[in-house]
Amino acid sequence: MALVNLTGKETGTWVHIGTETTIEDGAVVAAPLAQLVDADESFFKAVGAVGAVLATDADWRAVAPLANKLSFVVINFPSFSDGRGFSLAVRLRKDLGFRGEIRATGHTIPDQAMHLLRSGFDSVETPDAREEAFKAAVKRYQVFYQSDFTGRTSLAHARHARAEERKAS
Amino acid sequence: MYAYDQYDHALVNARVGEFRDQVNRRLSGELTEEEFRPLRLMNGLYLQLHAYMLRVAIPYGTLSANQMRRLAHIARTYDKGYGHFTTRQNVQFNWPKLVDTPDILQELADVEMHAIQTSGNCIRNVTTDQFAGAAGDEVADPRPYAELLRQWSTFHPEFSFLPRKFKIAITAAKEDRAAVKWHDIGLILKQNDAGETGFEVIVGGGMGRTPVIGKTIRDFLPEADLLSYMEAILRVYNEQGRRDNKYKARIKILVEDLGAEEYARQTEAEWQAIRNNPIDVPAEEAARIRAFFAPPRLEVLSDDVAEVDDLARQNFLFAAWVRNNTGKHKVPGHVHVTISLKPHGGIPGDATDAQMDLVADLADQYSQGEIRVSHAQNLILPHVAKRDLPALWKTLDAAGLGAANQGLLTDIIACPGLDYCALANARSIPIAQAITSRFDDMKRLMDIGPLKIKISGCINACGHHHAGHIGILGVDRRGEENYQLLLGGSGAEDASKAAILGPGFGEEGIVDAVEKVVAVYLGEREDGEEFLATYRRLGPAPFKEAVYGAR
Ligand code: SF4
Repeated sequence: MALVNLTGKETGTWVHIGTETTIEDGAVVAAPLAQLVDADESFFKAVGAVGAVLATDADWRAVAPLANKLSFVVINFPSFSDGRGFSLAVRLRKDLGFRGEIRATGHTIPDQAMHLLRSGFDSVETPDAREEAFKAAVKRYQVFYQSDFTGRTSLAHARHARAEERKAS
Repeated sequence: MYAYDQYDHALVNARVGEFRDQVNRRLSGELTEEEFRPLRLMNGLYLQLHAYMLRVAIPYGTLSANQMRRLAHIARTYDKGYGHFTTRQNVQFNWPKLVDTPDILQELADVEMHAIQTSGNCIRNVTTDQFAGAAGDEVADPRPYAELLRQWSTFHPEFSFLPRKFKIAITAAKEDRAAVKWHDIGLILKQNDAGETGFEVIVGGGMGRTPVIGKTIRDFLPEADLLSYMEAILRVYNEQGRRDNKYKARIKILVEDLGAEEYARQTEAEWQAIRNNPIDVPAEEAARIRAFFAPPRLEVLSDDVAEVDDLARQNFLFAAWVRNNTGKHKVPGHVHVTISLKPHGGIPGDATDAQMDLVADLADQYSQGEIRVSHAQNLILPHVAKRDLPALWKTLDAAGLGAANQGLLTDIIACPGLDYCALANARSIPIAQAITSRFDDMKRLMDIGPLKIKISGCINACGHHHAGHIGILGVDRRGEENYQLLLGGSGAEDASKAAILGPGFGEEGIVDAVEKVVAVYLGEREDGEEFLATYRRLGPAPFKEAVYGAR
């Protein structure tokens, strides 16, 4: 597996824990959302940093109470065609104000690099064979027709940016 | 017409480069067909029964003469000398070679066209009234909004992998020629009492195996808020639309499940939360786009043209053509002209490269270089001076494009069916050919009057049979092609679902059945009553009896 960094922000490393795993103090761990919802304060105190692993059909509202305890989020795509993952990332950024790393795992395709980036993902885990194609795909498009929730504004705004500046000054 | 700026060009060219790279990787074996499939579909490249098929978008059905010439060139150079205009204002080439497709896309990009999002579970080509900008009965030209939606929906970061394909249609006219109530989102451009422009927003319409007429979730959306509101509708759908069953994945099912009121409520809540983000375009951009659609400068002329009246007296076919295929223009002394692609006995929607070139030349000569494509699979010259009609008709007629049957029984919509489509149960095109041959008599057709026949080769309903005054659906009956007969549908402002009349027929039988249905109408109609009105008044019983006999 290769890790492709989409945004250039620092990417983390962590261990995935299942229900049985005992955690070393100070470890950086990723755990399924359901497990974190049930976890008590001592768990969050013991670990160094914690991230949630979300399925694409996770309800973003269920993440809300935990959001400020999470350092990162992993969204796992069962199939590249499951576009809920994009909206989920948008929700985390837009509605929960989540600033930590969002990583895509599971089945994505290089042609989705820009979709992932612009929906709020920072990184994507992909088979080694796809790494180069992913990296190429991030560079292919320079302008976009939509504003997104990662701070990029649309071409429509860019076209008139100078007019806006003039108005402002 | 909209003209690309450097950014639009850059985006479309980048897409061609990306696709060329993907095709090369496929040809070298680096990508398997399974991996290549989603990539080619995102560029409109299908694999059909016998060959690849490339579906090219004609955004909101508007083409320039030069673009039409390029389509002719592609048909001649890379295909078998014809193209097929579809019910979604697209054009399909049925025989391209995979290795040629990047070149075809480049040829298209050079004339500001593309095949982006003509397939896949994304927002498809936005369709509208084929007479937009010309029709006498519109509030405003809907195309600037369609272009706005085209840009916003192209490569959308969040809505490119929806539960299912997604179709938006806009109309601005009293008569709904875009079938907006049959779309995932239908928009009706209107003015409120304060004179502001906005949209009635309809969601959840659709054909397929569960036909549903859309429901209004907002009576008036100010035009400046269009994109943010669309985004709210799409986010609700992307998150909650079903993904476990492709036949239940369209927005219509979600709207039925939640109820239109709840769908409206969730949309409204999300819209309120996002509308202050820079999703809607600045007013300058709306104005920039609108300027491209400024009406052409047409001289105001008299509506009474002696040459037209004279020829109409001498030649019944010309008179019929003027009556059926031309319509009222905003500017006096002008009309919009529908060039029928439904010659009797021919293939609905097909045009040869020579015909496309001819239409391009005629557009330059008579229609400000503009052409439209209608969802009824015909071509339109939107801005023609009445005095030019005799010369125009003679040229069209000589090229086999003079059929005077617009809106009549032989103006049939038919999907590609089993002649091309891998999903088909039965052939559609030969049924259309058999019907138009049987009714090859303009006097009889004029007597019958407006009657829309729509044929689909399977339950996916690409031929819109649910919305046909007479709908025909191909089914598979123990390995045999069989055709069901439906009556009473409408795709217009009085939208309704056609209902199955009774047991299906073989190929011969279905044509006979249509003839019997028409005979009942001719016998029962009241003065000036059109087919659909008669059917609605009488109900199915007399038609059933005529078709199936007393049982
Ligand atoms: S209705 Fe069926 S047969 Fe016709 S084009 Fe659509 S999928 Fe193919």
